[in-house]
Amino acid sequence: MLSVLIAVPIISALFIGLLSGKSTAAQIRQMTLVIVSFLGLWTIWLFSQFNPAVTGMQFTEFMPWIRIVGLDYSLGVDGLSLPLLGLNALLTWIAVYSVAYSGERPRLYYSLILLTNAGMTGAFIAQNLLLFFLFYELLLIPLYLLIAIWGSSEKQGYASMKFLIYTAISGILIFAAFLSIALLSSSGSFAYNPQAAQGLSQTTQLILLTVLLVGFGIKMPLIPLHTWLPDAYVAASPPIAILLGGVLAKLGTYGLIRFGLGLFPDTWAIVAPGLAIIGAITAVYGALAAIAQKDIKRMVAYSSIGHMGYILLGAAAATPLSLLGVVLQMVSHGIILALLFHLIGVIEAKVGTRDLDSLNGLMNPIRGLPLMSSLLVLGGMASAGIPGLVGFVAEFLILQGSFSAFPIPTLVCIICSGLTAVYFVTLINRTCFGKLDNATAYYPRVQWSERTPALILSALTLLLGIQPNWLTHWSEPTTNVMVTAVPDKSGPPGPPLPGGEASLAFHKLMDADSTNGLQPTKSPAR
Amino acid sequence: MVSTETKAKLPPSSHPYAEVIHRLEAGGAMLPDTPENLMQIIGLYKAYAVPMDFYWRDLLYIAEREFLNPLPFFKYFLPKEYLDLHNHYAGDDADLRIWRGEATAHPELLAFMQRGETFKMPRLFHHLWHDRINMEFAEMCMRAMLWHRGMGGQFDPYLDSEEYKANADRAIKAYFKGNPVMLGIHQMFPDLFLEQCRQMSYYSNLGLFWEIMAPVFFEMSDLYDEGKMTSVPEAMNFLVNGIFAIAGRPIYHHVYIRGECYEIIPKSKGFMWLYEAALPYVEAVFYRTAPFRGTKSYNAQAKQVPPEQKDFHYGILYADVFPVGTAGIPPTLLMQDMLHFLPPYLVEYYQKHCRGESDMLIQLGVSFQRSMFCVTSAVIQALRQALLYPLDDPNPKHLQANRAFFEQQMDRFLRPEARLTDIQRQEYR
Repeated sequence: MLSVLIAVPIISALFIGLLSGKSTAAQIRQMTLVIVSFLGLWTIWLFSQFNPAVTGMQFTEFMPWIRIVGLDYSLGVDGLSLPLLGLNALLTWIAVYSVAYSGERPRLYYSLILLTNAGMTGAFIAQNLLLFFLFYELLLIPLYLLIAIWGSSEKQGYASMKFLIYTAISGILIFAAFLSIALLSSSGSFAYNPQAAQGLSQTTQLILLTVLLVGFGIKMPLIPLHTWLPDAYVAASPPIAILLGGVLAKLGTYGLIRFGLGLFPDTWAIVAPGLAIIGAITAVYGALAAIAQKDIKRMVAYSSIGHMGYILLGAAAATPLSLLGVVLQMVSHGIILALLFHLIGVIEAKVGTRDLDSLNGLMNPIRGLPLMSSLLVLGGMASAGIPGLVGFVAEFLILQGSFSAFPIPTLVCIICSGLTAVYFVTLINRTCFGKLDNATAYYPRVQWSERTPALILSALTLLLGIQPNWLTHWSEPTTNVMVTAVPDKSGPPGPPLPGGEASLAFHKLMDADSTNGLQPTKSPAR
Repeated sequence: MVSTETKAKLPPSSHPYAEVIHRLEAGGAMLPDTPENLMQIIGLYKAYAVPMDFYWRDLLYIAEREFLNPLPFFKYFLPKEYLDLHNHYAGDDADLRIWRGEATAHPELLAFMQRGETFKMPRLFHHLWHDRINMEFAEMCMRAMLWHRGMGGQFDPYLDSEEYKANADRAIKAYFKGNPVMLGIHQMFPDLFLEQCRQMSYYSNLGLFWEIMAPVFFEMSDLYDEGKMTSVPEAMNFLVNGIFAIAGRPIYHHVYIRGECYEIIPKSKGFMWLYEAALPYVEAVFYRTAPFRGTKSYNAQAKQVPPEQKDFHYGILYADVFPVGTAGIPPTLLMQDMLHFLPPYLVEYYQKHCRGESDMLIQLGVSFQRSMFCVTSAVIQALRQALLYPLDDPNPKHLQANRAFFEQQMDRFLRPEARLTDIQRQEYR
């Protein structure tokens, strides 16, 4: 089942790459759309077959591969990776559909996108450390080429090279850690085993965890390992920026939780306070840097860094609520970031600039971009954590879940949430409102192929904001199990959750039989 | 007759608008002579003329019949009498037949009054839904002329004369005969209804002005459709010739009260259409008007509006048609009216550019701006012809005088808000 998600895009990529030069870009795009649509439907089918109550891996597949180096073809999906599979499928479809590629080398372009999709899928479902690394590295070259060749900035060469170097170093560090785990652990294999590192001394675990933190921290990214991100996101074309920010960054956070928290739960508790502080600093830095930007794409890129800080805070706290919030934040951030990058891409394509000082009055219904501007307002609100949208639920869960463990970093992140509103209000006020200059307002119409992805992402933002349970119930049991392995952290324990679960089912919170003291106060009998 | 061919005997002008001045000296207009420009201006003249046919009739109705009605709820409900009122410059019985069409209300206007943008229903529902001709635009033009006043001519000073006051007083008393309250108010505040009467006189002025412009525009449209108008200078010359032909049309204000006619401004005063209506109208509405409500502060300390009214620059020649709100008289009302009567060739043209039907209002607004520059060019050429020298005058000093006049006119467009530079480009839509 899971192999389909890897094999189909790889084989399709090879097939498309070998097509004759007579195929037009439109034909190749159509072909790719069919393939990614199939992958999307297959992912939906996986969701339907997935049992949320089971906390272990499902749909497992195993085949010995290169045993001599310890590489086995081992796949599995659980509540942590399943939402990310869905996100990957969705955003790959968006990336292919949103732009009708019209340049040269369409075969190479779409092949690389399919390889990127395969790499990310493989990384999310790999149950072998070496296999994970393989897929992790598989992403490097396609994304490098996608930025270097099809980037939309003068600095695309510089940005792509920086991206390559940073993520290559990230890969080296991760590989070093995995190799050490395999060689030093009692199992002596690369198979993913939460118990693998238990036999190692605390110092060894600390070193390995630190190496993993740095490696995945580059990918997320965290301060001060972030400098590749703004350049790469800005240089990349909008569809590639969607993949970079929407999915690739989640690989870093996924890796951190799966391999950092998952393999070193005891040591995680030791480094957690430091991680919480780094998370808060990342959030602050991202917000302040975004406020200072004049390029709206760069503003959103820095905003992405800030939101990674929330994820790190939630992961550091490792409470049931915060970890659930982390999963939700990964998905919600992916959706919101994709929406914002797509809209900014449309604005740039129609207006010709991303400069905050030049953009004005796009909400104008006659000659502006009213729908795109309205959705930009929605995206900005979602990113700022306005209630009713998916961003709010994710941030709220993280902040509420983290407060008991790390109150001060949590408070700092709450303030950053307000700062997010600052730069998004600035963005929306300058670009959407004001007077549209008729001397320049001869913008082409927005086509339905450009509107549709924005509408889909906006609908998800709204729906999941109103009903986040549709997303969280896949991950709750898995995150609860991950949390139980982490020793109790310093600080007063948070309120026990109803039924012992980080449940968003409000009827449980108001359950009169609950022993958590959350019973509604009863009026005295008259 | 304005000659379109003349040998240049002067060195090139050094004015920033030298190209436009040279075009004027050659008998052209401020608007470049291109087939696209011609199509736009003629199409807009036709689209403008149909609502204008309503405007002038209703303006006269209000000036002559509504007069000082304190509750003029139905002033836009034009009675059949005024719809059937013969235009003096159209029809078989015209004083001077400018348009070969009918003298009564235009059939497209009548059709629109029946259906509006929706469907046929009682006129009151159309009115309440604002699905009608935007007569408010005409009233704002009138009010611009009233507010600015002092723009030359005899008509305006006459409104302050004793003779006018006496005529107005007689009409006011006759109108409010049997109404002790209103008569009492008139007794206590004689200037109140006098000022209202002046406003009504301007209603009449504007109505009589547009009574001529409507058939002029209709005829221009018909000539274009017949292939007899082939260039912008030809269109401008038609306007110039029309201006001279009807320059002497009397401007007056008669009020009909209970079957009796009160001549507040009699025809015998000899106020002429060109000097008392056309020129003040162009000055007040094309050049000056006033900033759109709420966009500028009139506080003298704020210095947001010019201290002198003559320096006001909020008319159509300076308007940023899009987004609306910067023009003194909101062209949206007129643009919406014109949208209903666009000729098919213009609709097709607009559908191919910019956002097509979505922003047709804006496109036609810009075309309207071009057309008003053509009208202004005609006025400038007519003034030059009346006050100065022919364009093919052999005397260089006379040509220099002409140039000085043109340069003086172009100086009014040196401010950044002026649209003269924009209309030189076809891409300005």
